Amino acid sequence: MIIRDLTRKVKWMRKFLIIAIPIVTLAIFVLIMLSGNYLKKPLGEEDNIPELVQLLTQNIYDEEWAAAAENTEKLRNVWNKITKRVQFSSERYEINGFSMNLARLRGAIMAKDKANSLSELYEAYEHWKELGN
Amino acid sequence: MNEGMVVFVRAIIGFFSLLIFARIIGKEQISQMTFFDYILGITIGSIAGTLTTDLSSRAWPHWVGLITWASLGYLMELITLKWRYAAKYLDGEPAIVIMNGKIMEDVLKKMKYRVSDILLLLRNKGVFNPNEVAYAIIEPNGDISILKKAEHLPLTPKDMNIAVKSSGISTEMIYDGMVIEENLRQLNKDKKWLYKELKKHGVKDPSEVLLLTLDPGGNLYIDKYEDHIQKVTDIGDYKGPY
Repeated sequence: MIIRDLTRKVKWMRKFLIIAIPIVTLAIFVLIMLSGNYLKKPLGEEDNIPELVQLLTQNIYDEEWAAAAENTEKLRNVWNKITKRVQFSSERYEINGFSMNLARLRGAIMAKDKANSLSELYEAYEHWKELGN
Repeated sequence: MNEGMVVFVRAIIGFFSLLIFARIIGKEQISQMTFFDYILGITIGSIAGTLTTDLSSRAWPHWVGLITWASLGYLMELITLKWRYAAKYLDGEPAIVIMNGKIMEDVLKKMKYRVSDILLLLRNKGVFNPNEVAYAIIEPNGDISILKKAEHLPLTPKDMNIAVKSSGISTEMIYDGMVIEENLRQLNKDKKWLYKELKKHGVKDPSEVLLLTLDPGGNLYIDKYEDHIQKVTDIGDYKGPY
């Protein structure tokens, strides 16, 4: 009687696992693939891209080039941190686009070119918005 | 950012998704596939490939494509299972291409088969003379089934009124040197009987045996690890790297 109960339990467990394992696996995959939109947003103190972009816009607008250069460096560090966590769920097209804009932005700030700096910054922000979407 | 690492993770996602979908859809073996099943397989595989290596876009849209194709394939399977009318259209149906030894030209035209294709399929089945064929049917998977004319059918023990012992399916008793006691019990045998039989064949211990099977007729098949073959026939006709 006990053995029969046990075999029934084992059979039930086996059937449950056969169904549960694929469902859990697929759910994990979906979570990984859709995590980009969540992971690009600030999770700590020092990884807020929209805030930095806003700050930089103000710097460039006010032509505070020293502060702008410093904030661009900060943006680059934050961006490097964020690419590490969104790389599995995001398109390389947007990641590469943002990195390119960042490089051009540094050059434009060095040349104190207000128009170019702003256009690069706005394009970079657009790439960030599209990241993981 | 490490591209190799991203491809590795995406490959795992693609591989196991494909495995799970294939287990859900797949009932058929490759030889039973219809033309559409074949295309379905190629498309799903190709989507999984792009999912893995196309890093310019996210994995998600590819995965949605994958699951949509897999679901549609599954849906088609359900429809053909429940609704014969639709199955006839979706899976196709067998067509008689040779009837009473005569080739049906109209059917061939409809099926888009040439006479040479039919002859090829017949040859594959070991029929080199269409004269031998009473009926030939093209199955939905593209294979041909043949019923030979009565005078060309092989002779069977029944034709000769000979009584034969049924052989049945043989069961493994020893596999890779291990005795499978469950199978012994199934055929109402025990280890004592097994050792007696082994002794008859000059075997001291089951560990010397690679495979031992028994059929319901009581016939044993024994293959030992040591085969004692003096001259091994080599069928290789060209000296390769090994």
